[in-house]
Amino acid sequence: MPVVSRRRFLSTTAGLGAGLGAVAAAGGGALAAQVEKSAKESSSDLRGLPAGWRTMKKLDAHNHVMQGVHKPGADWSAVERTVEAAKILGIDTLYCSRPLTGGVMASIEAVRDANDSVLAAMKRYPDVIAGYCFVQPGNGKDALEEIDRCIDAGMIGIKLYNQFKYSDPAVFPVAEKCIELKIPFLGHSAYLTDPKTKEAQPRTSNARDFGELATRYPELLLILGHINGGGDWEWAIRTLRDFPTVYLDTSGSVLEDDTIDLCVRELGHRRLLFATDLTMEGGVGKILGAKLTPEQREDIFWRNFQGILDRRPK
Amino acid sequence: MIVDLNTFLGHYPFRRLRFTTAGDMVAHLDAHGIEAALVSPTHAFFYRDAHRGNEELLEAVGPFPGRLFAVGMVNPAYAGWERDLRWLAEQGRVKAIALAPEHHAYRLADDRGQAALQQIAELKLPVVLTQRLEDRRQRHHWDIADDLKVDDVVTAANVPTLRLVLLNWLGLPADKLLAAGLRGRCLIDFARMSVVMSKDVPKLIEALGPESIGFGSHMPFDYTAAALVKQSNVLEVLPDVAEQIAWKNADRFLGLGLSDGGR
Repeated sequence: MPVVSRRRFLSTTAGLGAGLGAVAAAGGGALAAQVEKSAKESSSDLRGLPAGWRTMKKLDAHNHVMQGVHKPGADWSAVERTVEAAKILGIDTLYCSRPLTGGVMASIEAVRDANDSVLAAMKRYPDVIAGYCFVQPGNGKDALEEIDRCIDAGMIGIKLYNQFKYSDPAVFPVAEKCIELKIPFLGHSAYLTDPKTKEAQPRTSNARDFGELATRYPELLLILGHINGGGDWEWAIRTLRDFPTVYLDTSGSVLEDDTIDLCVRELGHRRLLFATDLTMEGGVGKILGAKLTPEQREDIFWRNFQGILDRRPK
Repeated sequence: MIVDLNTFLGHYPFRRLRFTTAGDMVAHLDAHGIEAALVSPTHAFFYRDAHRGNEELLEAVGPFPGRLFAVGMVNPAYAGWERDLRWLAEQGRVKAIALAPEHHAYRLADDRGQAALQQIAELKLPVVLTQRLEDRRQRHHWDIADDLKVDDVVTAANVPTLRLVLLNWLGLPADKLLAAGLRGRCLIDFARMSVVMSKDVPKLIEALGPESIGFGSHMPFDYTAAALVKQSNVLEVLPDVAEQIAWKNADRFLGLGLSDGGR
């Protein structure tokens, strides 16, 4: 477990002097050592959490680098905070993308620029950050070439946002490329029931769109992103019962009780991939709070996703 | 010891919850190492007469003194609310009074909202404002209540002696709360905030002091373990304020009597 000092933790907030004087002054103690101690000594574990939860292996299958950190003089603070949080929570690897949001039909130059920031983060934190290539299918042949560029540079899969529904034929060449390279296709998803949100994201794919793509391409390593990313997750889980080849990741800002448990009851635990999508404490907490056997928890925390990664050619 | 500020009892109309009774809630607290909870009445958000929800909640928590502490709710847009408020205060069985302007169709800034805020302040009880029960992006089509806004907090803060309990909030700008004079007058739970990564909790502590933050899970809507992870992180990175956040702030702000061996 790498060292994160308390002084360093506090220094990455806006100052934290007045309200935390004694805490800030205390700094210097190695947080990592405390974390390891916590994992070993149940006395410092909170009773409601599984013992040693911090040291359980975790692969975060859906996370982000959302800043242009590849540019000179870039502000790395958000990435640093994300990496620091991963260390504190015992997340071994963050699989990150930088999607262009807001439904923007981004040019290939903008897409390359977004992916370059993830590549820069991978270079700076090779032991923590891995990358997904963001793709805008409307870029056609350029999109496919961008996938090659990113995978050759060490990325592990592709990430789509809401520029196209995944049942749209524009997406098919991207799916075929993923099959050819044996890489995962992670897609933004939500079954939105709020009229305002739906209006703002008319091409957001729901579980049925994923199902249509999976039916067309049963060999595709398709991951429905953030089951708790906002939207009716019960509907999504029910729908996915009919599409057994679709994986789903557990991330999202919604921390609703029974989500993970319902996934396991309805879909089995092997299709579930631990992820946080930047809701890092809650994302870990959901998996710890679900009624799982230790083996099921391990599978969800890392083994299921490792199985997907292992399909790529060595 | 942990006191959970952000808990609710009762059925929710739009989703099945895994527990809806006080007995099951206490069992859940026990399983999660949580000593006590401040419990808000879910039914009072939805009943035409919110006070019927209070009566149900008080009956439910009665057998669990020192474990479940009730929040009352009044609807100032409904007949007889002032009498209900006085009754709740005189009974001494609630630790705070909640308002739900979105669910009960009034505004805190209008005459009804202002009257409720003033009278709660006069009774020296804190007011509870819950930003949301669940994420709006999955709303049932009958669920038209929007999230409360920061302006609602500022409106309540403008009542000079009123103390605020803010539950299930995200996006509270520390500078706005400070400018509204809330330092020392508010208790905010961290159910939707982060300790690490975006560091909402440390930022609020810096502005409002460590006495302003409390443990909150939003049970039974949300996974309790998510809040326990946050409290674990408080223990690791802010150990000097961990006990305050876990229970002492709640005990002091709400007068739970736990530090006097209240159980």
